[in-house]
Amino acid sequence: MPRNRTVPAVLGQSVQRAAASGYPTSRSSALKRRIVVGGLVLLSLVLITVSFRSAALDPVQGFGASVLRPFEVAAERVSRPFRDAVGWARGLVDAKSENERLRKENEELRRAVIVNESALQENVELRRALDYKSSPTIKDFRTVAAQVLASPPNQFDQRVVIAAGSNDGIARRDVVVTRDGLVGQVSKVFSNVSQVTLITDDDSAVRATVLTNPSAVGIVRHGSGSDTLIFDRVPKSKYVGRGAVIMTAGSPGGGQLPSLYPRNIEIGKVASVSPLDTETFLQIQIDPFVDFSSLQSVLVLVPKKR
Amino acid sequence: MSLLDPLKAGILLFIAVIVQVSVLPPYSPFGGSADIVLVTLLSIALLRGSVFGAIAGFGTGLMLDTAYLGTLGFNALLLTLAGFWIGRYGETTARDRFHAPFTSVAVVTVAFAFGSIALRFVLGENAPAGPVIDGLPAAIVLNLLLTFPVYALVRRLLPPTDISDRVREVRLLG
Repeated sequence: MPRNRTVPAVLGQSVQRAAASGYPTSRSSALKRRIVVGGLVLLSLVLITVSFRSAALDPVQGFGASVLRPFEVAAERVSRPFRDAVGWARGLVDAKSENERLRKENEELRRAVIVNESALQENVELRRALDYKSSPTIKDFRTVAAQVLASPPNQFDQRVVIAAGSNDGIARRDVVVTRDGLVGQVSKVFSNVSQVTLITDDDSAVRATVLTNPSAVGIVRHGSGSDTLIFDRVPKSKYVGRGAVIMTAGSPGGGQLPSLYPRNIEIGKVASVSPLDTETFLQIQIDPFVDFSSLQSVLVLVPKKR
Repeated sequence: MSLLDPLKAGILLFIAVIVQVSVLPPYSPFGGSADIVLVTLLSIALLRGSVFGAIAGFGTGLMLDTAYLGTLGFNALLLTLAGFWIGRYGETTARDRFHAPFTSVAVVTVAFAFGSIALRFVLGENAPAGPVIDGLPAAIVLNLLLTFPVYALVRRLLPPTDISDRVREVRLLG
């Protein structure tokens, strides 16, 4: 509604002031404004309630995500060269020191490979002799490669969306890895997209062990920072050194509630160990091998026999 | 307001959502990340008012919730309120003020962060304030830097509608 006012004091006679048409200012507009915003807030609350309590809106959300998928893939492809350029520029800063470190690591690994080769041969022969049945390892899964479409929107939301879903054979609780190590598990599946909850999420917990000391078994869970992990519930009697590699422990002997994660997937390296007198367990911080802030593609482990 | 305005705003916000979801996440200098969706929405709300801002916020929020496969309505609620509030600011005190977009972005970046924490807390989800507060100063700076080009682009596509009215008002009083 246009606003009309008289201005006698200024011009000495009544003059109709032109109505401002840019923004609604009348009472009916105020009512309309309140109705619109109230309705939208109410609708949002209804959506939150339904979405939070049931899976009734999942098909709609899945359809919407499938529609957005090609645009997200295209945007990711367009931005990849720039992302690579930024990564390359960052890498230049510490290239020399990293080269030195990698040379040393390479020498150590070369020595370790020789020792491991003979141990592997021995292991295979002993397993054959004993007819040993072990819990699932990564060899019992086929892998589905998927691009990461959406990364965590904020520090406390540790979930990513990947461009593969039930059409690719993916199911809820399938384990997700990269070539660097463990990423997390599938928490929601739609036909073409899935949501992966990272191991840095507060709800994640992984049964894990130390590569050099398999008797030190504990739980890897979310630490205080957004990308930090802690190796919890390891008794003080167990030795865990700084730099030790932490891997998934799987479920020895099966059990009623087997671990979702197969054995021997690398998780990270021990950053610090503090055996506090007041604590029952060791306080172990882990630096994950996977850089969760720049995930671009992942591998979903789909069991060969589901 | 032109009939094309909703279409232009829709396309702008859609592009902002795609960029936010697929392009920006790896870049988080000093622990903060830019929110191009919020900056675009606030620019539109400032130029087109509260009702337009609220509707744009709701639609954008739904797109974000769908892209992240998160709780539907979560971002829609927060962005509806942000769009409405800044739209009202644009309709009233912010008219013709140069600092309006920057003030709006800085204030809403903080309000949005705390609103997200509060809403997550109400929903019983993990809501640690520490990491969010740590990254907040960097997020404000990045959003303010984004405001220059984004507001200029939005203003070019959706020019202010009240300029002609203002000129008429000055003539009358003179």
